[in-house]
Amino acid sequence: MRTGHFKESPSQLIALSDSKVVWGWVGGLLCLMLAMPYLVGVYGLTLVVSALIAVIGAVALNMLTGQTGLISLGQAGFLAVGAYANAILLTDYAWPVWLTLPAAGLTSAAISILVGVPSLRLKGLYLAITTLAFSFIINHVILYAEALTHGPNGVFVKGARMFGFDVQKGLPLYYLALALTVATVLAGLNLSRTRIGRAWLAIRDHDIAARVMGIDLVRYKLLAFAISSFFVGIAGALMSLQIRFVNVDVFALILSIEALAIIILGGLGSVAGAVLGAVFLSFLPEGLRLFFALVADPNSTFYTNYVYEIRGIAYGAVIVFALRFKPEGLIGIWRDARKYWSNWPLAY
Amino acid sequence: MTALLQLEGVTKRFGGLVAVNDVSLTVERGEIYSLIGPNGAGKTTLFNLISAVLRPTSGRIVFDGQDLTQKPTYALAKLGIARTFQNLAVFKHETVINNLLVGMHAHLRSDPLSAAFFWGRARKEELKARERVEEIIEFLEIEEIRDQAVGTLSYGLQKRVELGRALAISPKLLLLDEMVSGMNLEEREDIARFILDLKDELGVTVLMVEHDMGIVMDISDHVCVVNYGRKIAEGTPTEVAADPAVIEAYLGKRRAA
Repeated sequence: MRTGHFKESPSQLIALSDSKVVWGWVGGLLCLMLAMPYLVGVYGLTLVVSALIAVIGAVALNMLTGQTGLISLGQAGFLAVGAYANAILLTDYAWPVWLTLPAAGLTSAAISILVGVPSLRLKGLYLAITTLAFSFIINHVILYAEALTHGPNGVFVKGARMFGFDVQKGLPLYYLALALTVATVLAGLNLSRTRIGRAWLAIRDHDIAARVMGIDLVRYKLLAFAISSFFVGIAGALMSLQIRFVNVDVFALILSIEALAIIILGGLGSVAGAVLGAVFLSFLPEGLRLFFALVADPNSTFYTNYVYEIRGIAYGAVIVFALRFKPEGLIGIWRDARKYWSNWPLAY
Repeated sequence: MTALLQLEGVTKRFGGLVAVNDVSLTVERGEIYSLIGPNGAGKTTLFNLISAVLRPTSGRIVFDGQDLTQKPTYALAKLGIARTFQNLAVFKHETVINNLLVGMHAHLRSDPLSAAFFWGRARKEELKARERVEEIIEFLEIEEIRDQAVGTLSYGLQKRVELGRALAISPKLLLLDEMVSGMNLEEREDIARFILDLKDELGVTVLMVEHDMGIVMDISDHVCVVNYGRKIAEGTPTEVAADPAVIEAYLGKRRAA
């Protein structure tokens, strides 16, 4: 059993972690991430970049849905706004990429306020439907505002250079995505230990009590929409850099559902859970591919023929199993394991 | 003594039902004032009006020289009004610490940017808030449970956390809605002790709705009795207990006669 860990100063109480062991592991993970391009091939790196983008999107959605309790099915819409803002500013207006990324985030945040205002009185399913409608509206606007968005033709993303590197592929893209992911995760963790994050949690658990505690519901719900969508917009911008071509078909409803699946599987309300969920679900299709390669007849085309169906079934199965057997999600499993380990050899 | 809270002819109608009917009362600074009455008398509605959760149909509520009737609910914490709820309203998925920290909300002002970086002001004020919360935890003797999710605690402890959250507002006026209902004798005595300490050590004015006559009679300076939305008696505990209108409201006419 682990003992002898004492707080010696008040600053340890508000630290993200005051344990040297934890910081050691985080440092190790960061080193591993920095060395990643040299450990996996080109294909592997593409997968890792997708996973990082998913992490940003999940941490962002977690602020809105996990922490503030506002269920959003509009993730795909906000991703589209970010991706299009980035693509249009880069390609048509030739802005530098260090400006287009924050601009993509801010555009998405500004539009989220437009959606947020009429949604303020809505909760639960009603809000989910409103945000869903929003994401369809965005798709239509993109299709028909041809002067700006090139309509159904989509936009080719080119000319993204930062410090002389082409950040649309390989190492530069990976390190850019990594830096933004680290920044997003840190921002998520920091927000949850300040009055803003706590105001969100208060709104989720009991909105009348939250008001009596001095929390302005309108302000903090809009703040949740704006901050969350800012990061979703950045995730969308990164997607547009990675896939190099954006059109509306990329941002289908399934993306919003996947995003919800990620934070439910990871554990609602937890930043670490969102990260775990995003990594897990990002690599699930790859895991399935390897599984079929291993067990199936090498000449069988079953997997390649039904790849989308199999993925859909797998997502569904994962959510059902998570909700049935571990509603606290992956982070719950992690906490149990940690508790068991630190109390060992006692039972609890 | 000067008045901290004054209600002037406050009325609240829900459609045809008059829940609070022309109630006027004055709570002096630094006293414990109890509001009692049979079930459905309108006590909780009166509380909701004072804490601006509901708006009065007519009448004025003046706190510390300011009219509360047009203030948004969230502005009251800043003025120094805190309350607890009749049916627990804790943030049940959060730890005791976080619940108390939410109470500090009105005293903190970090903006999203400094919060996201946790630099400068955000860090400094979090540190201060945390130290203040530790003081409250010590006052309420809940050190053992500070890291537990409130939803997992016993009812009595959850009530105590709710009281702590209200204290984190550093209130001038504390509204306690049936604080001790469902508590055992020991828990009730603890709460009574806390309330007296609050009044004597911190000078907090307490306005409470209470069904437990033991506590009301023991610790109140003034008692107000409401029935069917109207004030029927007011005075010191002994005066009120002897009032024929009160005895009638509680025990019925035949017994009173």
